[in-house]
Amino acid sequence: MAYALQQLINGLTLGAVYGLIAIGYTMVYGIIGMINFAHGDIFMVSAFIAVTAFTLLAAFDITSLPLALTAVLITAIFFTSAYGWAVERMAYRPLRGSTRLAPLISAIGMSIFLQNMVQLTQGARVKPIPPVLEGGIEIWQSGGFTVQISWTQIMIVVVTIALMVGFTWLITQTAFGRQQRACEQDSTMTALLGINVDRTISATFMLGAALAAVAGVMVTVYYGVVDFFIGFVAGIKAFTAAVLGGIGSLPGAMLGGLIIGLIEAFWAAYLSPEYKDVATFAILILVLMFRPSGLLGRPEVEKV
Amino acid sequence: MSAVIIARHARTPAERFKDAAWVAFIALLLGIPMVGLTTVDEGGALTVQTRFGMLGAFVGASFVGRFIFRWIIDMVRNRRAAKPAVAKADRTPQAVKVIGWAVLGASIALPIVFSDNRYVIDTATTVLIYVMLGWGLNVVVGLAGLLDLGYVAFYAVGAYTYALLFSHFGWTFWEALLVAGAMAAAFGILLGYPILRLRGDYLAIVTLGFGEIIRVILVNWTELSNGPNGIGSIPRPTLFGLPFERNPAEGTQSFATFFGLEFSGMHRIVFLYYLILVLALLTNVFVARLRKLPVGRAWEALREDEIACKAMGMNVTNVKLSAFAIGAMLGGFAGVFFAARQGFISPESFTFTESATILAIVVLGGMGSQLGVVLAALVLVLLPELGRNFSEYRMLLFGTAMVLIMVWKPGGLLASREPTIRLKQAAIKGGEA
Amino acid sequence: MKKTLIATAFLALGAQAQLAHADLTVAIAGPMTGQYASAGDQIRRGAEMAIADINAKGGVLGQKLKLEVGDDACDPKQAVSVANTMVNKKIVFMHGHWCSSSTIPASEVYAEADIPMATVSTNPQVTERGLKNIFRIMGRDDQQGMVAGGYIADKFKGKKVAVLDDKSAYGKGLADEMAKAMTAKGLKPTLRESITAGEKDYSGIVTKLKQAGVEVLAYGGYHTEVALILRQAQQAGLKLTVMGGDTMTNSELVTAAGAAADNVMFTFSPDPRKNPDAAPIVKRFRDAKVEPEGYVMYAYAAMQLFADAATQAKSTKYADLEKTLRGGNFKTVIGDLAFDAKGDQKQPGFVVYQWKGGQYDYAAK
Repeated sequence: MAYALQQLINGLTLGAVYGLIAIGYTMVYGIIGMINFAHGDIFMVSAFIAVTAFTLLAAFDITSLPLALTAVLITAIFFTSAYGWAVERMAYRPLRGSTRLAPLISAIGMSIFLQNMVQLTQGARVKPIPPVLEGGIEIWQSGGFTVQISWTQIMIVVVTIALMVGFTWLITQTAFGRQQRACEQDSTMTALLGINVDRTISATFMLGAALAAVAGVMVTVYYGVVDFFIGFVAGIKAFTAAVLGGIGSLPGAMLGGLIIGLIEAFWAAYLSPEYKDVATFAILILVLMFRPSGLLGRPEVEKV
Repeated sequence: MSAVIIARHARTPAERFKDAAWVAFIALLLGIPMVGLTTVDEGGALTVQTRFGMLGAFVGASFVGRFIFRWIIDMVRNRRAAKPAVAKADRTPQAVKVIGWAVLGASIALPIVFSDNRYVIDTATTVLIYVMLGWGLNVVVGLAGLLDLGYVAFYAVGAYTYALLFSHFGWTFWEALLVAGAMAAAFGILLGYPILRLRGDYLAIVTLGFGEIIRVILVNWTELSNGPNGIGSIPRPTLFGLPFERNPAEGTQSFATFFGLEFSGMHRIVFLYYLILVLALLTNVFVARLRKLPVGRAWEALREDEIACKAMGMNVTNVKLSAFAIGAMLGGFAGVFFAARQGFISPESFTFTESATILAIVVLGGMGSQLGVVLAALVLVLLPELGRNFSEYRMLLFGTAMVLIMVWKPGGLLASREPTIRLKQAAIKGGEA
Repeated sequence: MKKTLIATAFLALGAQAQLAHADLTVAIAGPMTGQYASAGDQIRRGAEMAIADINAKGGVLGQKLKLEVGDDACDPKQAVSVANTMVNKKIVFMHGHWCSSSTIPASEVYAEADIPMATVSTNPQVTERGLKNIFRIMGRDDQQGMVAGGYIADKFKGKKVAVLDDKSAYGKGLADEMAKAMTAKGLKPTLRESITAGEKDYSGIVTKLKQAGVEVLAYGGYHTEVALILRQAQQAGLKLTVMGGDTMTNSELVTAAGAAADNVMFTFSPDPRKNPDAAPIVKRFRDAKVEPEGYVMYAYAAMQLFADAATQAKSTKYADLEKTLRGGNFKTVIGDLAFDAKGDQKQPGFVVYQWKGGQYDYAAK
């Protein structure tokens, strides 16, 4: 029981990270109807920015934790948003209105580019940072097994929930959200109404990147080790999460992330860790067989 | 790193300057964390290193590059605008045919020209494997319009089928070829069934997942596939039973002894090259024929408008499954050849990157264009190879080229997404803007 | 038009092969890019230093050595491509590849082209395929696993041990051998699991180890995952001692795992840095700001091996070299080398090491 609880905590934390990255996929998909394949690598770039920022702060002896975390978050969000903007500008905007596959290929190219650029400029070695936030609370003991939840895990879950609420409010209640949803519905009509579609799309990409940056900082703090390859693995998992929950739906992305995190944790805990990816994808296929638009996705309207 | 934006009017130098300054500013933003700063491991802890010189160079280069680039683009535009627009000669099927025959001639002559250059022939063999894979995937993506990100699964199934048939039952290449193709086709149908109702990107992620499932199973099911150690010593194909070996087994003749030649490792390389050439050409002829048959027509109709197909009473299920099965079968054939050529296969050869490369070949070539696939395969295989001398920048250039080619020609190098049959009257184009 | 383009491309590729030079070309190959680029870096530094030293002494048989570097990124397909490139460059000796999964397919190309090679790949398969051109200057995973497993069984008697691997050819082979050796000595592993390399979240497996009360982890795989497991074990309040293989020599482990790295033990050949004969060379490396750790000295030794064999054979022809290498005894910075009929080292020594404060040293017997 205690063991199951501990694995539940592990799974929830992992799921929260996947969910954070998945929201980025879902938002971009919602507005232009395309998968941003480079999103995982934007997340990777942000993790590197976080490592540099933490190291710089340590060099200046800024050790006050809330201050350091806030500073790193702001830095990472700022620079990563620039990356999100640039990716949209280079790989997506020139291809607006072309076939559906062209942006996919250019985004895959972008993803290869980002991975190798980071490898070149930052080196191929793993980048560790010393533990930022240590310790945690012991919740429960039973049969010699102590269930622990670390402060980092609490932080990740809290931040994820906060962002989730914030973004839902942004999309449903603000003028920007309305513009975004309008672009989603019919970009030509939106443009005719005098809304700058290009700017809205750029802003969406930047927001997606900002979310990836938050995830990047969280991952850096939680695992403490980053390398240029993390974007690929996390990207595929988060993309799966977004689709599982129904791409285009914010709560769906979160739900998908949590489901995948929990599947991974429990599959590794009670069955074999080797096949956990098979389990993840098999469940995805099963869900899509019965709900072709994901768990919370809206069924696609077929235009005749 | 310069974006490509379509200019809308002639620019003054001041405007150009502003535009370049804006790009330089973006470059600065992107460059600070990645170029300007880096962390180095010094005795067990990271320290930050600054490289402001490099950052300056990077920003400067972006500025100058953008400025010149815009200038050139605008000049070209103005020229074009000044001239009365000449109707661009369409790439008639005639021209494509001529180029196609030329490429074929070149590929037949290649081993003769480079008869002593193992590397060139071997690289050309790699190109042809990708060409064959591209043609196979083209059936699924280019003709039937089903986005498949897990094509490598069928490639793996083909390769492993041959390897396993050999290691358990001693089958030869020629015996295993057809069985492996059938096996891959069966997997194609297996994957096709659950996803018949899915569209677009849902299809993409499921196929990607399927590719990963196959790979993870190959890694973990050690009893079946020998796991990460892979399967080695897979025999090479023989020429009508004549092996290409230095010391053939007792009582058999090798290719060299049969023809009274001195043994040379090149014989096999050249033979493998011609073998894949023949396989690829057969694939091409096969697909070209299929396109003219009802099933091929049905694929293209499906790509153009699934709803109309359903309304016409077409059996969409069978059409989709047949596309998956045929595409998978061709991938399986390529896999058998790959296993025979490498002599060693392991799950590492069948990653998502491979799927992405094959898909990129199809899309870069121009969906549905057979010759385009050849050109794209040449570009994508030769780019990293030419870059071997500056290996660090190899993949960087590869990614950049993928983005640039797409931006430059979104329809692919040879766009021919034309349905094979068109009604004579101009059809009203509906659908999404 | 297209034809000429293609022809030019191939000509450009072929042109390199047409250049005749009087130098002897030797090559290294390994992961210069990709996940294991740091190992490739070590190999390159070692080989460059060796070539400079040999050339300073007048080269081999009066000819200067020239180094070619091949990058396979540990991908079997690229490894074959690199091998073909190297054959075209008419190399006379190859030190590589690094990953067993690359060495195995590439070696067939070298074998066919009559090029001798010295490798540090530890998978037994490398020398078990009857190829005559391979010489392994490192021990094998089965020997390595024996030493590591035996050490665990002696040292941690009665403790709970888990055996884990990362599903790579190298890692799985090593973990299997460790488990076998432990069991033979009467210590059965409590858990036998695999993880996926390249991930970041190992909290699930760490919790599993904690639940099972595991104190010692025998791990087959690379250092990156060990660092992550150690970090996450610390967060979960689990104290682990890890026993790994030769890949744990990488100092990245210390940077990534912090103080927890002191709980990592591993098997590796006797430390060449401790070899008194190698002291001047170690000093030269350190003067050049290169720490001769991991595979640096092996690459150096491989080049020495070639120079020595060619000098003894008075020829760089394959048949002569192969015969000399097979029968001779060679002095290198990693000690004396002699090979058996398969091409394995006659006396590979594996010693158990332990990290301590950022350096590794022999572990307590």
